Amino acid sequence: MIAIPTFILIISGAATGLIGAMLGLGGGVFLVPLLTLALGVPIRTAIAASLISVIATASASSTINLERGLVNMRLGMALEVATTVGGLAGGLIAATLTHRQLFLAFGATLAVMGVVMALRSRRRNVIAHDAGIEPGRLGGRLREGDQSYVYRVKRLPLAMTASLTAGAISGLLGVGGGIIKVPVLNAFCGIPIRVAAATSAFMIGVTGAASAFIYFGRGDIALHLTSAVAVGALPGSLLGARLSQRVEARSLKILMAVVLLLVGLRMGLQAL
Amino acid sequence: MEVALTAGVAVSGLLLVAGLLLGSPAPMWWGVLLLIATPVLRVLVVTIGLVLDHDWPFVGVSLFVLGVLLSSAYVSGRL
Repeated sequence: MIAIPTFILIISGAATGLIGAMLGLGGGVFLVPLLTLALGVPIRTAIAASLISVIATASASSTINLERGLVNMRLGMALEVATTVGGLAGGLIAATLTHRQLFLAFGATLAVMGVVMALRSRRRNVIAHDAGIEPGRLGGRLREGDQSYVYRVKRLPLAMTASLTAGAISGLLGVGGGIIKVPVLNAFCGIPIRVAAATSAFMIGVTGAASAFIYFGRGDIALHLTSAVAVGALPGSLLGARLSQRVEARSLKILMAVVLLLVGLRMGLQAL
Repeated sequence: MEVALTAGVAVSGLLLVAGLLLGSPAPMWWGVLLLIATPVLRVLVVTIGLVLDHDWPFVGVSLFVLGVLLSSAYVSGRL
């Protein structure tokens, strides 16, 4: 591996952290291809650095999202049970699949998610006005300007299945898993996009920590590279979390759809 | 919880920057370790909050997640 200037690594971390925090994805889906394809970093080192960067992004953006009351803590903890189990299963399944099968499955999943997200970009998933409507045990309330909205969690088994899948993919590829959870929570489970992204970011930090301990213990973390990427990811993700509030929900959904399609295409090409 | 998160992120960020500026691996090592430990601390704070709310079903859920994280940390120490 050639020596990469520190400022290039910091900028890479900042850029992927910014996008990751804006979309609630954690940034890993962008950082691993950037480090491996553009900068020639070995895949194992890139995944380890990505995991640390994902934790930095999720932790930094969660401080802002918690302040705004966007994180649904109970829902996040309930889904985290499935995500951690999925992460364990992902490690076991990885041994039975070829890289080509993994890339094809991932690419196809992302492309389908992108289309679904684009088609449902006008849907709001909230019940207008508070009006004493109970959000249920896992639902919540969301304030936007002067208005207050209520949302209820629908299709919890589907949310748990998506979290299980996200955890499995996280275990297989070292990405946060938000790229699966955010679209499913928003499009099918009645969670507003901002709450879905914020809750996903909260979960991604926890899921990433479970895997990162193992990488740390194995000595797979390249300290200089990982530190530089994480130092960039921290301010990048803080800025991303602030910008996400200013971007309209529909714009955020369309941006997410484009990202899903592009990353899905890239993953599919990798399999050929 | 915001305090735990902010403190964890801020201290680990400072350690990483110090390590990069000094070219010393020790602050980077501690910075990375603290960054990984921050979500664990966050789950611990959530669990304590749920205990204070007497929300026992969610205390069980949080303890399960905390158990997975601590198991991972324990296993990493034996690799």
